[in-house]
Amino acid sequence: MIGLSEATVRFGARTVVDRLSFSVPVGRSLAILGPNGRGKTTALRAMLGFQHLHAGTRSAPTIVGYVPQVSVNNQRLRAIDIAVMGRAAHLGLFRQPRDEDYAVARAALGRTGAAGYAERPFDRLSGGERQLVLLARALATGSDVLVLDEPAAALDLHNQERLLVLLESLRQERHKAIVFTTHDPNHALAAADDALLMMPDGSALFGPVAETMTPAHLERLYGVPMRTVDLPGPAGILHRAVLPAFAGAPAG
Amino acid sequence: MTIGFSETAAHARKVLPFIGLVLCAALAAPPAGAQEVVFTDQANREVRLPKPADRVVSIVIPVASNLIALDGGTKKLVGMNPTAKSAVTQGILGKIFPEAKDIPSDVTSPSFVPNVEALAAVNPELVVQWGDIGEEKVAPLTNAGLTTMLILYGTEELTQGYMTMAGKAIGQNERLKALIDWRDQVRKDLAAKTASIPEDEKPRALYLQRAITDMAASGTKGNYTEWSMELAGARNAAAELVGTVSINKEQVAAWNPDVIFLNAFEAELDPSWVYKDPILSLTNAAKNHKVYKLPLGGYRWDPPSQESPLSWMWMANLLHPEVFHYDLRAEMKKAYNTLYHYDLADADIDGVLWTAQQGDAANYDQFKVRQE
Amino acid sequence: MSSVSEGLAARDGMPGGSPTWTRTTLVFAAFLALLCVSLLVSLCAGRFGVPVTRALALIWQGLTDPSAPLQAMDERIVLLVRMPRVVLAALAGGGLAVCGAALQGVFRNPLVSPDILGISQGAAFGGALAIMLGIWGFPLIAMVFVAGMAALVLVGFLARVSGRTETVTVILSGLVVSSVFAAVVSLLQFVADPETSLPAIVYWLMGSFSSATWARVLIAAPGLILGAALLWSLRFRLNVLALDEAEAKSLGARTERERWLVFALVAVIVGSQVAVSGIIGWIGIVIPHAARLLVGHDHRRMLPASILLGAAFTTIIDTLARTVTAAEIPLGVITALVGAPIFAVLLRNHYRERTGR
Repeated sequence: MIGLSEATVRFGARTVVDRLSFSVPVGRSLAILGPNGRGKTTALRAMLGFQHLHAGTRSAPTIVGYVPQVSVNNQRLRAIDIAVMGRAAHLGLFRQPRDEDYAVARAALGRTGAAGYAERPFDRLSGGERQLVLLARALATGSDVLVLDEPAAALDLHNQERLLVLLESLRQERHKAIVFTTHDPNHALAAADDALLMMPDGSALFGPVAETMTPAHLERLYGVPMRTVDLPGPAGILHRAVLPAFAGAPAG
Repeated sequence: MTIGFSETAAHARKVLPFIGLVLCAALAAPPAGAQEVVFTDQANREVRLPKPADRVVSIVIPVASNLIALDGGTKKLVGMNPTAKSAVTQGILGKIFPEAKDIPSDVTSPSFVPNVEALAAVNPELVVQWGDIGEEKVAPLTNAGLTTMLILYGTEELTQGYMTMAGKAIGQNERLKALIDWRDQVRKDLAAKTASIPEDEKPRALYLQRAITDMAASGTKGNYTEWSMELAGARNAAAELVGTVSINKEQVAAWNPDVIFLNAFEAELDPSWVYKDPILSLTNAAKNHKVYKLPLGGYRWDPPSQESPLSWMWMANLLHPEVFHYDLRAEMKKAYNTLYHYDLADADIDGVLWTAQQGDAANYDQFKVRQE
Repeated sequence: MSSVSEGLAARDGMPGGSPTWTRTTLVFAAFLALLCVSLLVSLCAGRFGVPVTRALALIWQGLTDPSAPLQAMDERIVLLVRMPRVVLAALAGGGLAVCGAALQGVFRNPLVSPDILGISQGAAFGGALAIMLGIWGFPLIAMVFVAGMAALVLVGFLARVSGRTETVTVILSGLVVSSVFAAVVSLLQFVADPETSLPAIVYWLMGSFSSATWARVLIAAPGLILGAALLWSLRFRLNVLALDEAEAKSLGARTERERWLVFALVAVIVGSQVAVSGIIGWIGIVIPHAARLLVGHDHRRMLPASILLGAAFTTIIDTLARTVTAAEIPLGVITALVGAPIFAVLLRNHYRERTGR
């Protein structure tokens, strides 16, 4: 599992995260929502152990499957080489990846649908393809926690769908604790069990999606009136979506 | 009114001592302007001293011992280069003039950068500095109002030139003339005899300017030691070099010199260094035991000094024992007497010539004390 | 050149351990051949003329019967002067190159060279001081090595802020320590005897393998070989360390500790190298670039490529330094004169391919 308990982070005089508590056990997915500058990133970094806590505690396994928004490396490695880096913790300092490590990496690429370009240079892939490779790397670590930083933020609609479908399928497997931050509340609806809303006033709302992702709470979160919309989805099942009031245009 | 003779005599007796004093004073006091020393230094500057200097500082290394020799003592030398000081204190000059160790050497850095405050403290009348190492090492002296004499290095002409200037500056014109004449005479003698030696009978000699730190040798142009070697009838094995540069052992093996001269600067260097080296020990020079370390007398015998003629004689006797038969021990005794008023003991000579370290070198027996 | 590396990437099946004859193997075989040819040519070349057949025979004799007494000059030249020198140049070149490669990865900056940690300047200080004090031979080597390591420790102390060392702080601390040691070396030059110590210090600062003997090879080799071997075995880890700090940590790397391990290994290598051959720059910064242009960025290929290329390059330029003229040309001069045009050509080809012009 992964979580924070009464975590507080201060930058100088400003308290960015104030007594934040939440936890994500294995088998559940959490979406973290909030406007920019309200501590979403800080909370993520704190979860990952990159942010010093002035108060409170963090619980997390030693290795967390982290999927950054972009991978800043100008190394021109192949996708498979990126994925196999997930095995670094298993290999330790001096060992080199062997066939079984590559097998794990390939399986992870297969799981995320990136197997087709395993041999291609990572920096020649599109944003969406890269995201899937990074996710494969996180899976290859073998950690039962996945943390994704704004995974769909820079993707086009097609790739957003691919990613969300993937996240949802990972959630359904119930093998991992999954946490992701997002701007779009519909991502939370699509792929999360729980949601953490980091409110502008510094408070936070944590709970199952059905309870927390209400138009009232979301309006408080974003400062924009929100509406719930029911749509027919694929296979005829009714889908619920949340849209800002300004979405679309007056009909007729 | 006439004065009686006895009264005149009494009067004279009172006045005479006074007149005598005035006459003496008149004779002793130089006429105004006659003692002024004026010459042009080797940077074409006019150097003007109101009278021969009694306090001279030598920033350059060799002139310190030149001055001691020209003056026959250390009185007029009030400051010198630390490297010159080490030569003096390590060598025989330190024995002859023990007071030399007290002459300040903080007036300059070893690399000829003047320390103006230390210079002011010794109050020199003349400062000797190199003329070709840059204005920034001369300006501090002229700006401080110190009379400076600039000299250049490398050839016998230049050496005689600056020795002459130094001699004039301290008013030792007689001794200077004797020194110069001696040099000219020995040089002419050597040049005449080596002129008749065919080129291919002149041994190829290598002078190692540095050996232990990193090996360095020199081409002939502008290097005084190379010139001395050629005067004494050798060919420079390193003639193809330009200036003084680092060389490696393979190059020495390629040259395969007939004679190796080792510098006197490196105190720990002696011929055993060559004989122990796997490469150098296979050269002609090593195989024939013709490895010689240049002596350290009143100054090192590699660069120009007041003892240069002795250095040439030493080299000539070693290079062409069949042509040159200078009685080096006698010459050294005579020279040291003239230069420093010192009676060289046999043990002193052996010390200068490094007999303990290289007594078994080829042709070195001629320098040993004659067994009567 | 980049298409070579992409070709390698595309055509490789399983990297390493694959029984098929891959393109990578061919490229590395070419590097190895280049190194062997450089070594042989260097052993046969020199101011003391030795016919090639005789030189090869002597090399064979030296390898097969090392204890045979060497009487003749040409035997001694080839086996006691050239061979240790060539071996030392190769080891030092490979060592410096792999240091540069590793540091460029760890600092995520292609402009980094092994000098950046202040080790060379610290080692130079140790050497200059030893020369001034008249210390030679093995005590000098020991002083140089210790001074180099001390410089690294100093950098570590300076860079430590609230118990941690960021890469930027390390670079800045390295700059400070370098400058201080360089200033002290200048001071030593100022007070050095211009007839003996000063030229020795100056020549030593410019770097040279002219003092190479088998004894010095034996002293420097353990540090050079062990350090390079350990860096080589970190090649996969360097890929991880070259990532963003957060990514590297999340993959299990203890980034700070592992960085310092790399620095310590670099100090061992550079310290050993400076101890026997003075300061040699340029190789550590440029050879890794050439390696990258030829085999790509993956440290698992780039590190061994750097070692081979660095060894070959240094051997060749040292041979030039001791053969072209009767005088020994300082290494710093030749590395720049030979290396810069080669590198310029590599860069232009690379640029042309990337921009299609």
